[in-house]
Amino acid sequence: MGAQTRFKSSVQSGRKETVLDLAKFVDKGVQVKLTGGRQVTGTLKGYDQLLNLVLDEATEFLRDPEDPLKTTDQTRRLGLIVCRGTAVMLVSPTEGTDEIANPFVQPDGA
Amino acid sequence: MIFCLVYYLVLQLPLSLLKTAQGHPMLVELKNGETYNGHLVNCDTWMNIHLREVICTSKDGDRFWRMPECYIRGNTIKYLRVPDEVIDKVQEEKSRSDRRPPGVGRGRGRGREDSSKAKGIGRSMDDGAAKSTGGGRGRGGNRAGGGRGR
Amino acid sequence: MSSGLGLENLVDQTISVITNDGRNIVGILKGFDQATNIILDESHERVYSTKEGVQQLVLGLYIIRGDNISIVGELDEELDASLDLSLLRAHPLKPVIH
Repeated sequence: MGAQTRFKSSVQSGRKETVLDLAKFVDKGVQVKLTGGRQVTGTLKGYDQLLNLVLDEATEFLRDPEDPLKTTDQTRRLGLIVCRGTAVMLVSPTEGTDEIANPFVQPDGA
Repeated sequence: MIFCLVYYLVLQLPLSLLKTAQGHPMLVELKNGETYNGHLVNCDTWMNIHLREVICTSKDGDRFWRMPECYIRGNTIKYLRVPDEVIDKVQEEKSRSDRRPPGVGRGRGRGREDSSKAKGIGRSMDDGAAKSTGGGRGRGGNRAGGGRGR
Repeated sequence: MSSGLGLENLVDQTISVITNDGRNIVGILKGFDQATNIILDESHERVYSTKEGVQQLVLGLYIIRGDNISIVGELDEELDASLDLSLLRAHPLKPVIH
């Protein structure tokens, strides 16, 4: 909690560090992609302006050993983890994220 | 001197263009080959971007995910595909602000929402090109889109 | 304001860009910055293959991140117009390996 309030005050002091306010994701499920191809989901417990993240009950999606760029549905539990900010490539909320069929087959309105 | 002035009028910075593209749909390809189609909410000087209503396409264009929003770190971006009209917008804003005394009216992004616009971006594209915009470099039997076979 | 890049001389000219993933993108240079991020207008990709002629894909307005760019070159529009790309065969470039 302390880390969060400290971050908020640094935002209010003027310099906005990130384009995304992670505060709204706290205690919610997030999906994080890391450089090198790892992909984890977990509950966001904390963060800082360098995008270091604390994830609780984190799960990593294992990757196809043949093709490490592809993730499989196999997972492994990691528990409480810290994601180093410099390795964070992408953050998105888990809620509302779903795999869908190809939406581009017939470009709508085109 | 005149030479410099001409450059100043013509040249624009990639990040200013990106800033101007706020609210517009765009396609972002990451270094790992994944593409993200969404509306730009915000961006910063590191090219970190925040997209809304996103469709993520896997590297080989055979899997798709919908996500309400996502944050992408700038240094993982390979390129961004921006709607054509955005470049005219920058020019407009530039010439408008040029007439004003410096330091006044630096306001840029004008947070307009144009939901009536189709997702796909780009001009007068034939089917093939339109498809490859959509699915990133999607395959789907379309040689224009997935023909690189990497 | 000279960045010493030499790219300012190419603004509003057609340029050819080779990216780290081996793509060739041709378009009009509209802008750039210190990190060699570039704005390309009316851009298209040229896809080379040994089996068929060069395919041109319309891309439109592009911002290419500087760290993904290998080569930026001036395009001789006259020479380019005289080429029949449909007859041109070439191996696609391999991506840069870091």
